[in-house]
Amino acid sequence: MKHEIRDEKDATIVALEGDVDLQSSPDARKVLLECVGRKRPVLVDLSAVGYIDSSGVASLVESLQTAKRSGNTLVLVAVSEGAMRVLQLARLDKVFTICDTVEDGLKQVQ
Amino acid sequence: MGKRQSFSVSDASMPAGGEAGQAGQQVYDHLELLAAMGKDFASSGDIEASLKCAVEHITEYLDAEGGALFLLDDKGETLRCHACVGPTEITGLTLKCDQGIVGRCVQNEIGEIVRNVTKDAGFHAGIDEQTGYTTRSILCAPMSVKDERIGAIELINKRGGDGLFEESDLHLLQAMSASAALAIHNARQAEALVEQERIARELELAAEIQRSLLPEAGADDFPVAGVNHAARTVSGDFYDFFPLDDGRICFTLGDVSGKGMNAALMMAKTASLYRCLGKTVRQPGRLMARINAEICETTTRGMFVTMVGGIYDPSTGIVRFANAGHEPPLFHDAEGDFHALPAEAPPLGISPTLVDGLEFPETELKLDGGVLYIFTDGVTEGYLEDGRELKVGGLKRLIRENAALNVKGKLNAVIDCVDRGDAALRDDLTLLAIDDAVPLDLRTSGKTVAVEKTPQDPIAAAEEEEILLSLTVPSQADLLKLIRNAVSETARFCGCDKDVCRDIVIAVDEACQNVIRHAYGGSPNGEIGLEIIRRSDALVFLLRDFAESIDVSSVKPRDLDDIKPGGLGTHFMREVMDDVQFMPPPAAGGNLLRMIKKLPKGPDNET
Repeated sequence: MKHEIRDEKDATIVALEGDVDLQSSPDARKVLLECVGRKRPVLVDLSAVGYIDSSGVASLVESLQTAKRSGNTLVLVAVSEGAMRVLQLARLDKVFTICDTVEDGLKQVQ
Repeated sequence: MGKRQSFSVSDASMPAGGEAGQAGQQVYDHLELLAAMGKDFASSGDIEASLKCAVEHITEYLDAEGGALFLLDDKGETLRCHACVGPTEITGLTLKCDQGIVGRCVQNEIGEIVRNVTKDAGFHAGIDEQTGYTTRSILCAPMSVKDERIGAIELINKRGGDGLFEESDLHLLQAMSASAALAIHNARQAEALVEQERIARELELAAEIQRSLLPEAGADDFPVAGVNHAARTVSGDFYDFFPLDDGRICFTLGDVSGKGMNAALMMAKTASLYRCLGKTVRQPGRLMARINAEICETTTRGMFVTMVGGIYDPSTGIVRFANAGHEPPLFHDAEGDFHALPAEAPPLGISPTLVDGLEFPETELKLDGGVLYIFTDGVTEGYLEDGRELKVGGLKRLIRENAALNVKGKLNAVIDCVDRGDAALRDDLTLLAIDDAVPLDLRTSGKTVAVEKTPQDPIAAAEEEEILLSLTVPSQADLLKLIRNAVSETARFCGCDKDVCRDIVIAVDEACQNVIRHAYGGSPNGEIGLEIIRRSDALVFLLRDFAESIDVSSVKPRDLDDIKPGGLGTHFMREVMDDVQFMPPPAAGGNLLRMIKKLPKGPDNET
């Protein structure tokens, strides 16, 4: 799994790429929590995530909870088909704010 | 020994006899009193109240200041006052069985007139000292029926006249005592009879519950059958068999030491434990160890259970069982030879630590058309018509002679020889047989051996199976991608569309993760075996590990309302697959998970 973090005017955008599975989810968790810790809205770009498993989903949930606790927001953007299926299976598609594109996400957090 | 009718008068100054001229009226009163007392005892359900009433009548009739009725206890060691009238209340007072004049009277079974108690060494002055009452004279008559001593009636201080009891008083008291004794005896017998009937009813109820613990007989071609004849109402033996959801049959037969109600209760406990645990613990050795631990924890000292428990697979003819100190089962193979299979472990309930490790040793046996007989010693030690014991030799003979019958017929042939219904059984008879003949025929003719439709299993035994993929990889997280790709390709190969492929990958990936994280605790040194089997209508995924067996009941899908990280994997598996089940693993141990995904119908099937 690879990742890329860039800071926009209104949010930190973190893009994950590849498979977020048992092997890589500890890295994903570290990256996500680090972004949430910046006290700015976080957009998680999942467009390039081919596969995400329960441990990856758990990292997302933990990051969302951490953000909410500190009054911060975390939005999932451009969720790939594979990742969306897993979120649906976990019934988390209603828990996360999900936007189709990065632009929509930025509007959401303004 | 006949009943002694003699009596003694302890004070020589009193002339005996001379009362022959009693008025006829007195005799009439006396008879009437006896009749009234007898009626009272017979009609009253309360023996203590009747005794009190009798003592009152007698005391009044013989014009004494006080009267008391003493009864011997069950052991004949103490005399207890059950009823009393007069100036001092001594109901409940106990004396040693030979203490005082009443004690002497009971022991000698001789009635006495003691005109001056101060001259009698046997007089027990303790009561007078306690009550302040002065006893001058005593009239005492024993109560007994046949050779059974029951007690005595004692009267104190004659009112009126010279204050002395007459010999005629003693005659009268003896007659009334005899009448009271008979009444007490009868009342006690009636009470015992009622109690016996109550116990018999309770036993019959217990026996009914026990019978309900035995399994219902299967169809005539069901390969396992059992029979149990109790020597008494309740039995210390048991047997059970029930099909597992994968078509295998779990069976057991056991014998609790002893034959009474305690053995019956122990039987109920052991049989229930087996039926309950046997549905989840599917390794006989491990199952027996669990039951042993449970029994040891709560057993009554000195009780134990010998037991055989195992699993029979009709689709292969293989039986795997553990034997805890039970009679060696007999295997009658298809060639007609017998093999005894002796126990390799002690009975259950002896010690939780007698068996090395966590399991009882298992025996594996391929029946190959043969029959396995498991039985209690009540069968081999049962008496034949000529009075000889059946013994193992006789059992073998009966088995051989009736080999052509179906499994129920085989069992009945043996039981009928030992329990002919003409005499009480020496011991409980219990016999269980696993007959592989019918399943073997089905196997060799290529037919499916379907023992029982399995309601939990959405896809019952399919006809054709094809192994598509079989791989074994180390339990490393970085190899999961490899497994995902292999699974995805296999699913695609079977015609699954993109979404179904993705779902299957999720379920298998999560199952593998569980193995790595939970079964192996994150260690990369374990092995994961994955097999994908194609059936006509489904894909079957078998995931095997070689770790400690996990407690299946602890593997639950998470509660989705509870949003927190972790614990989702099992939910994904159940959500995606049509069936997810932990299976009994092969003898080598570990865990086996089976997931089934129904295949979409091909274009040929769609109309």
